[in-house]
Amino acid sequence: MTRAELFVSCMVDLFRPRVGIAAVHVLERRGVELEFPAGQTCCGQFAYNAGHHREAAAMGRQLVRAFEGVGGSAAESIPVIALSGSCAAMVKHEIPELLERDALRRGRAPATATRWRQRAEAFGGRVVELSEWLDGHDAPAPSNGASSEPGAPGPLKVACHTGCHMRRLLGLTEPPLRVLRRAGVEPHELVDTDQCCGFGGSFGLIEPEISAAMTDAKLAQLATARGEGATCLVSADLGCLMQLGGRLTRSGDEFPTLHLAELVDLADQGQLTAAEIGRAARSQGGDA
Amino acid sequence: MPGVLPPAGATWPERRRRALGDPTMRAAVAKSTRSLAEKKAAAYASYPPGEAMRAPAVAARRSALAHTDALLEEFTRQVEAHGGHVTRAAGPVDVGRYVLGIARRRGAQRVVKSKSMATEEVALNEQLEAAGLHVRETDLGEYIIQLAGERPAHILVPASHKTRQQIRALFDDEAERSKVTPPTGDATPELTAFARRQLREEFLGADIGITGGNFLIAETGTLVLITNEGNGRMTTSLPPVHIAVVGIDKVVATWDDLAGLLQQPPMSGTGQLLSTYTSFITGPRRSGELDGPEEFHVVLLDNGRHELLGTEYEDILTCIRCGACLNACPVFRTIGGQAYGSMYSGPIGVVLTPLLGGLDHAPELPKSACAMCYACRDACPMEIELPRHILALRRTEIDNSMEPTTMRLTFELWGRFWANPAGYRLTARLVRLGQWAFMQNGRLTRAPGLVGGWTATRDAPPVAKETFHEWWQRARPGSRT
Repeated sequence: MTRAELFVSCMVDLFRPRVGIAAVHVLERRGVELEFPAGQTCCGQFAYNAGHHREAAAMGRQLVRAFEGVGGSAAESIPVIALSGSCAAMVKHEIPELLERDALRRGRAPATATRWRQRAEAFGGRVVELSEWLDGHDAPAPSNGASSEPGAPGPLKVACHTGCHMRRLLGLTEPPLRVLRRAGVEPHELVDTDQCCGFGGSFGLIEPEISAAMTDAKLAQLATARGEGATCLVSADLGCLMQLGGRLTRSGDEFPTLHLAELVDLADQGQLTAAEIGRAARSQGGDA
Repeated sequence: MPGVLPPAGATWPERRRRALGDPTMRAAVAKSTRSLAEKKAAAYASYPPGEAMRAPAVAARRSALAHTDALLEEFTRQVEAHGGHVTRAAGPVDVGRYVLGIARRRGAQRVVKSKSMATEEVALNEQLEAAGLHVRETDLGEYIIQLAGERPAHILVPASHKTRQQIRALFDDEAERSKVTPPTGDATPELTAFARRQLREEFLGADIGITGGNFLIAETGTLVLITNEGNGRMTTSLPPVHIAVVGIDKVVATWDDLAGLLQQPPMSGTGQLLSTYTSFITGPRRSGELDGPEEFHVVLLDNGRHELLGTEYEDILTCIRCGACLNACPVFRTIGGQAYGSMYSGPIGVVLTPLLGGLDHAPELPKSACAMCYACRDACPMEIELPRHILALRRTEIDNSMEPTTMRLTFELWGRFWANPAGYRLTARLVRLGQWAFMQNGRLTRAPGLVGGWTATRDAPPVAKETFHEWWQRARPGSRT
């Protein structure tokens, strides 16, 4: 039994708990004994990117503490599986320096500040983004389900979008594609795939019109993919999905948007059909 | 001393409105930025030495910053030894005073210029025109922009937001004013033929030629000019006086340092392995030489640069003005360069504008013109940490209380609640109680405060009836948490 801890992100927790539940099922099927440190709230990235580093550091410290609590000293070797590439990048690349700087700013002794950085680095070192983890581990036996609609001509096509932080800060462009292929679908990268979806954290709220114009450019490329048979849009970052999906539904378009965990969960169960995908996309989950 | 930049002009909402409401410009920008980004990628892919030389080039630029003062002194000695003149300018006023001093002494009336961001920065054209001089931009893009009465919309390709039809209209008007034959059509050869004919007259009648400079080589006092049009050479050789206005950040120690650097601007800017013209200018015409000006002047412009040395922003001074970050930036691709209210647009503009012009100069840029996607960091051949600088500027603006009180309170309250698990879960419950008032068909379509920015253009899911935290408690009771 592999042990791991789940870092769901505040967005998944609050807005689409279904993603977390799907990830639990997917990981448990792969023999993972999961723990969920209940002290986790938010990585603080939104506040951090908005320039509010005091608030971001307070959230960052809580996240570090939450993941130190579970396994005691053994926790140091337990991977933390993150359901957001962007939050994983924040934890790995920004929080250590942020906590150190903030401690100094609050007048703490340099040794205390260094300690915060070290604790954050230890935590960050354990964090693995979900598709990276899945890419490095065997999928369950194929008897768990056929991965394509019966009678369908070839594998299901899905459009996919990789978030900017996952792509550029974590360097994870191939793992989600490999995971999707292994799940039996044909990932379809959009033209200009490396362009931002328009969310951008605080930017997307401060500049709704520029943000939406960027999203519309991405959706125009998605329209092309849809014309070529893509049945849904998949990403390993819920932030991008909420941006793209929220813009789609604003214009009355219910094209399904799914987190990678949800798609793999459907594939595991042999439910990769347009109907199941649509049903999954319409539900936030956790509303039983 | 902090620098001074020309005012941003219209307010940010107005600049943004104009940009988003101009589909012609946006289509032109989207097309040209993508094309330039693709050419850059192709250039580095096809020519491995270009990539291999990049690291030494970055090192040369950074090491030059550590010795800027000494290198500038050496450069000055060398230029003077070759019969040229060097002056230091703290800001726009100094540049204007120096150039006008030369113009007065020589009785000069007509000035030709080749493309220069430094002179844009100090609004030199306006200063000279205010003193009654006739100034003509001779770079094709700059010429178009000057006729349009605009600022360059892109560091490298200043008129790339204009269509050929728009350019023809500008040339028609110019033909009318100067009573010459207008262009015969809007095909590129027809447009360039018109510009060439017009500019030829300007070169022949010019008293002073003004350029910028891509690099300064300290050991020999050499000015390096990288251009793609013959106008640069004509500006430096036809008029009797050549004045180069160059930022103090452009100095490198040696020709060896330059070797790795020289190809980076064309490769990153236009995807060329070398630009069409690379000029090395060391002093004025010497006796016995046939070409070159009688007088050669270099104005070393500070305008806030020196103050950045030794700060966390220092690497911004290694920028080679290739424009690669603009071409990569999704915000620039969406709104174009004019919206930035600065001659420096795109990611480099977001950082350089407040650093040179002060945080009050276009204070919206760091938070409003960046989606924090890191595309610029990957595009920059000099490995400037643009996103890190933008984050630092945002933080500084917050620390300086340059934000509405309601926004500050929102974040303070949010931080207080979300920094502990009980507070976090409480906010979920509270939002669930109140959100029904903002919902339509199961989605939030409007919202108060900060979140209202989201719902202005996108739907948002409501907080779920059962969060993941709550689900876990129910579905995995007794599991260690």
